[in-house]
Amino acid sequence: MKRSATPLLMLAPALTATGILVFFPVLNTLWLSLHNVVLFRPKSQPFVGLANYVEALHSQAFWDSLGRSVVWVVGSVSLQFLIGLGVALLLNRDFRMRGLVRAIIVVPWALPSVIIGLVWTWMLDFNFGILNQIGVAFGLLDEPVAWLAQSGTAMAAVMAAIVWQGFPFFAITLLAGLQSIPHDLYEGAEIDGANAWYTFVYVTVPGLLPVMVTALLLRMIWVANSLDLILVMTGGGPGTSTQTLPLHAFLTAWSGGNYGSGAALSTLLTLILLSVITIYVVRGQVDG
Amino acid sequence: MTKQRDSGFASTTTRRRLLLGAAAGGAALAAPPIIRVRSASVRSVRWWYFFDDPNAAPDALVSEFQKLHPDIRIDAERIPNNGGADYATRLYSALLAGQGPDVAMMKIANLSRLLEMEALLPIDSYLASWPGRGDIAEQHWKLAAAPDGKAYILPVQYVVLYLYIRQDWLDAAKMAPPKTLDEMLEVARAMTGKDRWGIGVRGGAGGQDFWASVVMGEVPWEKGAFVKPAAVAANDWYLDLFRKYKVTPPSTPGDGFQQTINNLKAGRTGMTIHHIGSASGVVESLGNRITAVPLPGGPRGAWATYGDGGQSIFAKCKDPDAAWAWISWLSAGEPNAAFNRLTGQVPVATSMAKNWTEVPKRFVDATVNSLPIARILPNLSQTADFVRTVWPQATQKAFLGQISSAEMMGAFEKLYFS
Repeated sequence: MKRSATPLLMLAPALTATGILVFFPVLNTLWLSLHNVVLFRPKSQPFVGLANYVEALHSQAFWDSLGRSVVWVVGSVSLQFLIGLGVALLLNRDFRMRGLVRAIIVVPWALPSVIIGLVWTWMLDFNFGILNQIGVAFGLLDEPVAWLAQSGTAMAAVMAAIVWQGFPFFAITLLAGLQSIPHDLYEGAEIDGANAWYTFVYVTVPGLLPVMVTALLLRMIWVANSLDLILVMTGGGPGTSTQTLPLHAFLTAWSGGNYGSGAALSTLLTLILLSVITIYVVRGQVDG
Repeated sequence: MTKQRDSGFASTTTRRRLLLGAAAGGAALAAPPIIRVRSASVRSVRWWYFFDDPNAAPDALVSEFQKLHPDIRIDAERIPNNGGADYATRLYSALLAGQGPDVAMMKIANLSRLLEMEALLPIDSYLASWPGRGDIAEQHWKLAAAPDGKAYILPVQYVVLYLYIRQDWLDAAKMAPPKTLDEMLEVARAMTGKDRWGIGVRGGAGGQDFWASVVMGEVPWEKGAFVKPAAVAANDWYLDLFRKYKVTPPSTPGDGFQQTINNLKAGRTGMTIHHIGSASGVVESLGNRITAVPLPGGPRGAWATYGDGGQSIFAKCKDPDAAWAWISWLSAGEPNAAFNRLTGQVPVATSMAKNWTEVPKRFVDATVNSLPIARILPNLSQTADFVRTVWPQATQKAFLGQISSAEMMGAFEKLYFS
């Protein structure tokens, strides 16, 4: 009896902290999503059942922002992954000052998103941005481009910023995975006459696969939830060109003061992400 | 070995010091009666404020006031403003949580929502016997008046939008400062050339102020007003500055204050709309080459947005008399001037404003001459949404051709009259 109580006792502080910091806010969000909670009407917060969810699912803004979220997550995570994989393969080779290069690569990942957003906003600025100046100077652009003010380029511009921020995560994670692949396998492949491509496809990729899947899943969740970079760079504009689902939820709650609708949108986003995680967990159990 | 013993002694000493410290702390918490009596007699006022200049601090003003009123302590809290959106949301949240300030600077645009929350205390009874009332121009009281006829805002500073214009570019084009919107377009077209544009317009946050100058004169306040042909035509004129005449930079849909003011300073634009708060910085960059005039008017007269002007006492304030003492002191005479030296605006106390020399006279004149045409957006609960999300999103879409002028105005009609 005493023995079975000890682990619970030891876990109690962590469980209490998780309960206060995670479960309570989640339950509170669910409560808010079932009520008509408008910040400036505190005396009237009637229970509305699933009305906030129904309203969200019937709103064009929800589906538009969900579509942009898909573009945002798939586009930016796949680019981060490909660049990160390329960098990891390079960093896995022997060359001078490899340690220094590995340390420098991590810098974008270590910077706060707000700083990255401000830096990229000014780099992309129409009048004073260095990217326009370089583009025009080298003849790549006929004239400066208002990257963040055009609906056709704003999303790509913001994605460039998050790709720059996020590729070091893949580079470092995949590098760790590469170093855990036994060298014998590469020697065996070489003896069998496999060229570089076959070695990559049949030795490197299978060896990296568990790390790849975990890193991709984690990064997808982070990117799907993130709104800070977009908020700083475009605020969701021009128009709603870069308004993803979490930003839509944030603006509904924070700027619009409509916490009931904002909570419903957040819950829907959570359910969508949970379905991705569930697939991963189930697949992991089947594989196990 | 010795070293270990020494360490042991040191740790014992540290422990003793800690115990002594804890005992002293406990004694302090027990609080000698004389100290408790003194702190209970001090009336505290929690004051929220926002200044655009991050280096400006009201410490000297607070000290001066506390010297004059030793029984009142001002707990000043600077709150991030971010164009007003962050400040307002933080204010609403704090009031809801019961953690709001006693008194705060506020924008008139938030008045309706705060009244809906029953968060404000009327100040009519204080105003009735306040000697400073007559030194504040009647237009300020009119603009700050609440829909229920009571007064909740005490003006402390004022800003009225005006038009910055490059005097040297005007001279080169042999043109006079525009008095009508059509003349402004002519000037803008004349100023537009290679890598420079006639006028900097904000498509992002804050742009509704210039838009209102162009369009709101055509919106008589009634159902259907936004979608009347004259209102839609005025809106088209505004959009065409970017869409058709291209007298604004290509970055206009995403431009905010920083972009428009930097473009003006850098000689990329010849005109832009802002207020006296930015005059010092603009003069620093452009010297005598820049001047300011009241905003040109449309067919139904001129409109210059007025704002950022006052302070309110909250209904839950525990000591309204102390709060009133503080804000009324800030709105009269030399303290009002000192406050406005910090904010970079113009004093509401006429006696202080008439000889205001903090910025060159031409900017003071443009501000003072704009007061008769000063207007505010409808003092309704929806205006906060209009300013923060509905206007920027609809306008940016219309600038980019994603929606028409009529659809843009339809979005506003829906917000206000649906």
